[in-house]
Amino acid sequence: MTNSFLPNQGIIKNVKTESSNTNTFTFAFSDTNLQKEFSCVPGQFIMLSLFGAGESAISLSDTSKKDSIITTIRNVGSVTNSILSLKKGDYIGIRGPYGNGWPIEKMKGKDILIVSGGMGIAPLRGVINHVRKNRKDFGYLEILYGARTPEDMIFTDEFDKWRKTRKSRLELTVDSMPVASQFECQLGLVTSCFPRMKTKTKNSIVLICGPEIMMRYAAKCLETIGFKDNQIYLSLERRMKCGIGMCGHCQLGSKFVCKDGPIFCYNDIKPFIYPL
Amino acid sequence: MNAYTIEKSSFKILLNRFLENYTVYGPTKPGEDSTFDEIKSISQLHLDYVSTVLPPKKFLHPPRESLLKFNNENGKFTSEEIFNDTKIILLGVHPCDVNAILKLDKFFSGDYKDPYYNTRRKNTVIVALNCIEPSEYCFCSSMDTGPYLKEGYDLLLTDIGTKYLLEIGSNTGKKLIAGLKLKDATENDYNEKEKRFKLMKNKFKKYINTSWLSKIVRENTDHEVWLDLGERGGVAGSFPCLSCGSCTFVCPTCYCYDVYDKMDINLKSGKRYRELDSCQLLEYASVALDGNFRRDRKDRIRHWMMCKFGAAAGKINSSCVGCGRCIRVCPSKIDITKVAKVVRGG
Repeated sequence: MTNSFLPNQGIIKNVKTESSNTNTFTFAFSDTNLQKEFSCVPGQFIMLSLFGAGESAISLSDTSKKDSIITTIRNVGSVTNSILSLKKGDYIGIRGPYGNGWPIEKMKGKDILIVSGGMGIAPLRGVINHVRKNRKDFGYLEILYGARTPEDMIFTDEFDKWRKTRKSRLELTVDSMPVASQFECQLGLVTSCFPRMKTKTKNSIVLICGPEIMMRYAAKCLETIGFKDNQIYLSLERRMKCGIGMCGHCQLGSKFVCKDGPIFCYNDIKPFIYPL
Repeated sequence: MNAYTIEKSSFKILLNRFLENYTVYGPTKPGEDSTFDEIKSISQLHLDYVSTVLPPKKFLHPPRESLLKFNNENGKFTSEEIFNDTKIILLGVHPCDVNAILKLDKFFSGDYKDPYYNTRRKNTVIVALNCIEPSEYCFCSSMDTGPYLKEGYDLLLTDIGTKYLLEIGSNTGKKLIAGLKLKDATENDYNEKEKRFKLMKNKFKKYINTSWLSKIVRENTDHEVWLDLGERGGVAGSFPCLSCGSCTFVCPTCYCYDVYDKMDINLKSGKRYRELDSCQLLEYASVALDGNFRRDRKDRIRHWMMCKFGAAAGKINSSCVGCGRCIRVCPSKIDITKVAKVVRGG
């Protein structure tokens, strides 16, 4: 019986600063065979262990590289705080990947609307880059990204690339702008972009990830505009201790967010995320 | 398979055989209440019990256990699994608790296998004991999990007066009693068992109508009863829930656990533990930046009730077996059978 609780040793190959409290880490398993076997899709997550500090569920922010595991981590608690102190060459425990991933197959041939808030852009970055790379498989690509301040925005060096993508649009919002922003962004919540939205309700799919309160409002607004519940997909955050549907913490109605999700069709989970 | 009888006064023969190769855990009565504990001699064994405070789950899915040892050396780490492979016999387990173990077996052997639970389970022999007297809280008869056991035992005891009927349920059970001088069971013994079963069935004071219950609960997440139960005056004579978590800790099918690391004093080595957790506690669904997905008591008690009615993620594998322990320990006198009735609409 393989022990799914046992993390494998990984090494940090690179650390990139995204914002004052957020870094993108590039890992690889120390065991090269394990790394070769590792395959993941956008939207999945891994369990990162720092022995002594604990274990956390962290989403993959880039799934395109075969030889590495890439995550973007914000310092929000004791485990992530410890991980943020790690440098290139340090070791970390990794198990996974877990979860289902974004519905890439269902998205083919459709317009894609991406609504993200704060760190919610991390699990969506993989899907954005997948759509950009396979441009002709998908329709219009619209990215709406909101953060607290421009300094809290991550992947800022990729905005230009995203903007230059054929048949696409990127709109950024911030709650407040204490200092002038280096890139063009509007004041307001991410939902305030909806009136200017180019994506039509017909033949489109919406992917949302962000704080749950933002997702609830976004889903409600989209519903009002005319999007159907089964067009909307959300990536949920829950407390997770095992990642494999056994510790119980991530339960949502009759689903485990770790095993049956973290990405759900709005249709399936509506009663359990307190629709407005 | 064959069945035998053994005089109650000779039960020592059976116990001594068990003790030859196994650590035996059975019901004992150190005070007012019965509890499962290690049995080393016949004088400690108290088979004539109604229910225990904690279910025998504690031997298979312990309140706290270590998962692995780790050692951080120059930034690198090594980790080593910790397994417990003691061979144990759970003696005198009532049908509700055996059914709970069968549920946990399925739960921990789903898409992913839990190596810790399954290692212990593989080394566990169940000598079950049919019930002769329900407590005022029991309702296994309406959950189809008792009072007589149908499956899941290696050996099964039934009190038929001055002796026990001893039925064999597996090869392990058969081997365990091989060579003992036991009397073959007669038709009379079986008739006695049947007679007692019929008498027993009518003694239950509590009842749940389970048909469609999980669906009803799933479709009534906004029912008044949850607010009554969690925040207002309670339901059917109970007080509002205190979120103490007692129900989850005594429940034989509650599986939820927390995982945490504990460093040794040298700050290099340590252990990763898991510990039973409770969905009734506020921290259970909390996340970073002060997020909490079940901040209200009504959401927490609703979640537990849904889980016990088979409507949560554990599905039927974490649902109620009717042991009545939660009713007994609840300081607010919340009665799951009454809640089910209110949700169902009478």
